[in-house]
Amino acid sequence: MKGLVSLMFILMSSVSYATEQAEIIFKKLAPSLYQIRLIDIASGEKSSIGSGFQISSDGLIATNYHVISGYARHPEKYKIEYLDNQGNKALLTLKSVDVINDLALVKREASEEMPFFSISTTRPTKGEELFSLGNPHDLGMIVVPGTYNGLKKESFNDRIHFTGSVNSGMSGGPVVNKATKVVGINVATSGNQIGFLVPHEKLSALFTRYKQSPPESIKQQMTEQLNNNQEKLISSLLSAEWQIKKLGDGRFPTIDVPFIRCWGESNADKKEALMMVAVANCSLDENTYISGNFFTSSVEMDFQYLQAKKLSDTKFYQLFQRRLTRVMPGNKAGKDDVTEFKCQHDIVMPTKQNINNKAVFCTRAYKDFANLYDVLYLGISIDKHEQALLSHFTLAGVSQQSSQAFTKQFMESVSWK
Amino acid sequence: MEIIIEEISRGHKLIGRHKFAQSHVNIGRGYHSDIILADPHICAEHLAIEHDGECWRIVDKDSINGSYLDEGKKPANGHIIRSGDVITLGKSQIRVIFPYHPVEASITLSPFESLINLMRNPAVLVANIALFAFLTGWVFFLNNAKEVNFTQLFVPAIGLTLMFAIWPAMVALVSHLTKHDARIFTQLGICFVFYNLTWVSDFFESLVRFNTSSQFSMIALLNLLPIVLAFCLFWLNCYVGFHMSSKRRTISAAGLTLLLFGGTFLVQYSKKPDFTVKPRFNSTIMTPSFMFAKSSSVDEFITNSSKLFNKVSQEAKQKKQ
Repeated sequence: MKGLVSLMFILMSSVSYATEQAEIIFKKLAPSLYQIRLIDIASGEKSSIGSGFQISSDGLIATNYHVISGYARHPEKYKIEYLDNQGNKALLTLKSVDVINDLALVKREASEEMPFFSISTTRPTKGEELFSLGNPHDLGMIVVPGTYNGLKKESFNDRIHFTGSVNSGMSGGPVVNKATKVVGINVATSGNQIGFLVPHEKLSALFTRYKQSPPESIKQQMTEQLNNNQEKLISSLLSAEWQIKKLGDGRFPTIDVPFIRCWGESNADKKEALMMVAVANCSLDENTYISGNFFTSSVEMDFQYLQAKKLSDTKFYQLFQRRLTRVMPGNKAGKDDVTEFKCQHDIVMPTKQNINNKAVFCTRAYKDFANLYDVLYLGISIDKHEQALLSHFTLAGVSQQSSQAFTKQFMESVSWK
Repeated sequence: MEIIIEEISRGHKLIGRHKFAQSHVNIGRGYHSDIILADPHICAEHLAIEHDGECWRIVDKDSINGSYLDEGKKPANGHIIRSGDVITLGKSQIRVIFPYHPVEASITLSPFESLINLMRNPAVLVANIALFAFLTGWVFFLNNAKEVNFTQLFVPAIGLTLMFAIWPAMVALVSHLTKHDARIFTQLGICFVFYNLTWVSDFFESLVRFNTSSQFSMIALLNLLPIVLAFCLFWLNCYVGFHMSSKRRTISAAGLTLLLFGGTFLVQYSKKPDFTVKPRFNSTIMTPSFMFAKSSSVDEFITNSSKLFNKVSQEAKQKKQ
């Protein structure tokens, strides 16, 4: 009993200690914290809100790209405003973005030297207590204590796994350690107490590049970033080991990298089904937000093995054909962002010659970002009477060269046993 | 001195034809008339046509509603008749014709008259309709992802067959109403032969689409096949159902074809969204037994895709400007 009481005491004191710490940190940092608002010029009302924090004495403020994405894409439609802890409002100008890591630098007018957040130079240690700052749901600035849990393993572009409540509206707010150095930027949440942060290195890099040479055009800068990212992504996929896995009598590739994860399902339990269907799909868990419904940098691979059970081959192929018309791209971009898909098809036999596919390849171009495309491939085996293997992938925001190299590798990797 | 008097409808279709060798013909509603017309607007003794030794003359017998030339208001009384004159009495019309009045050139019998007669043959007709119903049921069966019993296929197959019988029935009805031979069995026979030919052309289309790649440029020609079939069907419908000149028949058939395909095209065009995220591609697949084409290599396929990239890049640039 005595032990229990003392344990309770220790726990309580640590909680109150954390609260006290949080208070001190908040008081100290509040003048450099802002609410960032995207104002729709026509209606004069705010269309989205987020948080931001000052990182230089001359008024440079860091936030998330997704907070100001509306302005980055349609500068004629929106303006960006800040609201500081005194309740002052004024305009901000967009200076630089990192669309891949969801960061943006905006600038306010500063007549005198102002206090600012300094960016940490070291990574936190696992279990270290951190403080996330921001303005959730427009409720006012708050501070949320939480724990550093290392980098998310499955991500291609690093994200910190933070145990603490990051809510919408806190996006773009800083996460600091006890020494009030910025170690991350709030970016996303994945439900209860699981938050994701952009590591401080990404912000330091963006800040340094900005100081050296500010970008001439945001669109140009985004195009370059998307292009570099897709090249890095596709080349890491192509250089990784492509493991061949079994799906019925079919063989399909999975790519042995931590950020591609696979899932499977089948209808083996449905006795009355006319055909046996086993499905495997592998995809990149993350994507890059550009605006509205426009997400890019995604990779999805989908494989289906079908076997006729109580069917003639004619009916089997007829039903199979109906499944094909349901194919849709993962990226729901609209008319302003992309062209319509153009497709080609042919009967293709890979070099190993043990499968004959009807192959369909479609692509569409991005209107604002030159030389970037969404591509979609569909391979349908047509050489077995009562079995079929469907192989499918979509890539979003890739160059012609990357997508053709990926397509070749993919087409050569699907086969029968 | 013979004279021919035709009772005609307002649309100048023949209702009855009478030939007289006498020099005096009475026309009226009375039963003592030479030509008895039932029209209540005609008097019992309405008018007479008399030969005075030289020419025929109209004599109106003081009828209440009068007699007029053609549809006009010019009174017919005392008019000297020329061959082909039309006289209006009451709400009816008659045409007066002299012997040796010129007639239209005779129409030659079509070489496929015997073929058309074959389609009317009861055994052929029943076989055709049964084949159509069977194929319809079979297509239903192929497209049904669940197990289906005979009744579940029988009902839509018969339903659809009856629905498709509406067109020949309608054509026959129209030819009957326009005082032509209805010839409903011939119409049914022709239509179901062509419906079955459409199944064949569908199959052929799938076969070609399955065996060719997108590099094959003649694929648009396939769309002509159903148009040609429809034109032939409409042409035969007209040939069987109506007496008309071959030029008029061709125009009628072309008009109906245009109405069918043009209408379908317009409906589809009006529904077409301004922008679609869904890729449109050829998804035709058939069983391996129908694969005759030579396979390409992966490299060829990828080389071809460069053209697609060029096309969409051009489009992206154009729309941005």
